[in-house]
Amino acid sequence: MWLTSKIKQVLMVLKPGVVTLKYPFEPHPVAKDFRGQPSWDHHKCVGCGGCAAHCPARTIMIRDVCQDLRIMLYDGSRCTYCGRCADVCPENAITMTEQYELATNDKNDITVNMELFMLTCQRCGRCYNMETTNMIDKMGLKGYRYDSLEARAVIPRATEHLDIKMLEETEHYKRPQK
Amino acid sequence: MLTIEEIKKQLKDKYQNSIKNFDSPYSTRLFVDIDKSKVRDISNEIIRMGGRYLVSVGYDNIARDKTLGLIHNFSMDRDDIFVSVRTAAPVDNPEFDSITPDIPNAGWSEREYIDLLGMKFKGHPKPKKLILADDWPAGVYPLRKDVPWNLMPPAAEDVAYELDEAPEGCTTIPVGPFHPTLHEPAHFAVFVDGETIKGCDYRGFMVHRGIEKLCQTQLTYNEIPFVAERICGICGSVHAATYAQCVEFAAGLKISRRAEYIRTIMLEIERIHSHLLWLGIAGHLIGFDTVFMQSWRVREAIMWYSEKLTGNRKTYGMIVAGGVRRDITPELADELRSVINTIDKELMVIYKAVAGDTSIHRRTKGVGCITTEEAKLWSLVGPTARARNVDIDSRRDHPYAAYDEMQFDVPVVDSCDVWGTVVVRILETFEAIKIIRQALDKMPAGPIMTEFDENVTPMRHAISAVEAPRGEAVHYLISGEENRPERWRVRAPTYPNLQGVPAMLLNDQFADLPIIIGSIDPCFSCTDRVVKVDVRSGAMSHLSSGDLEKISRAKKTAGR
Repeated sequence: MWLTSKIKQVLMVLKPGVVTLKYPFEPHPVAKDFRGQPSWDHHKCVGCGGCAAHCPARTIMIRDVCQDLRIMLYDGSRCTYCGRCADVCPENAITMTEQYELATNDKNDITVNMELFMLTCQRCGRCYNMETTNMIDKMGLKGYRYDSLEARAVIPRATEHLDIKMLEETEHYKRPQK
Repeated sequence: MLTIEEIKKQLKDKYQNSIKNFDSPYSTRLFVDIDKSKVRDISNEIIRMGGRYLVSVGYDNIARDKTLGLIHNFSMDRDDIFVSVRTAAPVDNPEFDSITPDIPNAGWSEREYIDLLGMKFKGHPKPKKLILADDWPAGVYPLRKDVPWNLMPPAAEDVAYELDEAPEGCTTIPVGPFHPTLHEPAHFAVFVDGETIKGCDYRGFMVHRGIEKLCQTQLTYNEIPFVAERICGICGSVHAATYAQCVEFAAGLKISRRAEYIRTIMLEIERIHSHLLWLGIAGHLIGFDTVFMQSWRVREAIMWYSEKLTGNRKTYGMIVAGGVRRDITPELADELRSVINTIDKELMVIYKAVAGDTSIHRRTKGVGCITTEEAKLWSLVGPTARARNVDIDSRRDHPYAAYDEMQFDVPVVDSCDVWGTVVVRILETFEAIKIIRQALDKMPAGPIMTEFDENVTPMRHAISAVEAPRGEAVHYLISGEENRPERWRVRAPTYPNLQGVPAMLLNDQFADLPIIIGSIDPCFSCTDRVVKVDVRSGAMSHLSSGDLEKISRAKKTAGR
């Protein structure tokens, strides 16, 4: 019994042979949908702050330094690479890259700092992005141009529940007179 | 078979005056509100009806009605019912009758609330500190709502935990907090007479991360799954799934069938990799590194597959309240089939090679024996219990996700020793492979996420259990305001199992200690999840290595 077990064990070991990878001397590619270090595309970002609101580890911070400038800071030292930010991004500006070799002595190597130029909402005074590529423009909606003061009054209502009927109403919307 | 109506009737007949209210939001859940004077009697009555003690939940209700709430939870395994006995005591005199004298497994839960909520338990046999650091200031109860989540009291130098006295004629050997046989910090003071273990005292909870308090004060419903997943490095999906099920129960949300199937597959993938990992560690602990290397080699295939499916080897991040995040495409399903086929074959090779090996038998057979009665008394769970002929498995007893449609066996052996846990775990891995095959074949089409509007009515209670590889994980959730739980209690499977370890160690050889502790597949970090401090002062007066050397030399020369 003892001997047969040992023979079986020898066969079990010999058959697969050496399986140890040569990593780190050879690169080790990862799977296609690997969740590595997140990366931000500043062309696409509209500065909505959805990623900051959903990050379980609170590694993404948004701060409005002045009326026109919104800073987005990603601190990778605490990131758990859950990929929640990429999920919630409405503009697909965040992708989870294949980068996993992130050990570093300098925290700044894994910190991303983005400065987003924003416009100020006439109604609430907070800033929002008004480049030509933003989500609102892409949707081709009437009455959402930043120079249309009449329409802007309904933006907070309209963006929460996009409703065709309500949009039609906004065409004839009149600002309340004093 | 008992039904909820029968349980209600039996309790009503006996304790008409003490029972205030019954609540049964689902056909498998029963909440009983009782007067605190009858806690012990009613708990015993439920045990007599066939209940198995799970865990107690204490919560701060001071802001609402100036009380501290206490909930004892029981599982009716044959009837698929969870019974929760809810009671409360005024905050100025929060004294309850202890149920520990009858149900020893409740000991830790009650000690936890002595520490964290300032409750008092009349008749508790060992009301010592369990969770908090030795230098934690008296009178600060961290789970109370008025204590901020990031409180950091100053450290003190001159306090130490008072371990139990060694029995007459016994020597104390400290194992841990950092010790080669323990992969995580915990302290066992083992009392030995010669080489024979005569008892042991445990001081753990050194890796508190304050997860429960953090989630109750800082995070929102759908951020918590990612933190829950990090309760345990091995059974992460289990905790995320248990939590998500609790939230879905509280919100009255029914998720899509496809999402339930994917959850089932994730949980079984986790079981396969965890059992292979354990088999390797067990081999390593008894000095049989061939098993260690080969089972980890086999395990690697499922880890790589997980990376493809979920984006990571571990901490899959798949399960959130409302469903799962990624779908299993037909290509991924085919690949999973081939991966589990390979594992099936290769594990069989390992099994055949080690099952008859006499050196393994000598190290594991007759080691860590406890009887079935003791195992039931200590409410052991998972493979540890099933190796002691206790036939429980939440997948079958309380079907969740898609387990109600799966055909599988629950391996139970009656050898009552460590060898039994080896056999149970290997057989369970084959069962897991079987379940994945069925799930892949039966999986219906449909959406993977159901809209969860994060708008749960406050003060809804929910309990959920999931069979983790190590045993049964139980979560209890009380929904709260501001889009986050009011109270979330996690009971990892190691929590009850570790309390049974002193019984397993009794009268065994000291050299078998690593494999006995290893046989429950301990996960100290899961167990120690609650508050927010590390035990700082580990200073204890034990034998120095010089003393030990002297004693062992003296014994050698004395002809031992």
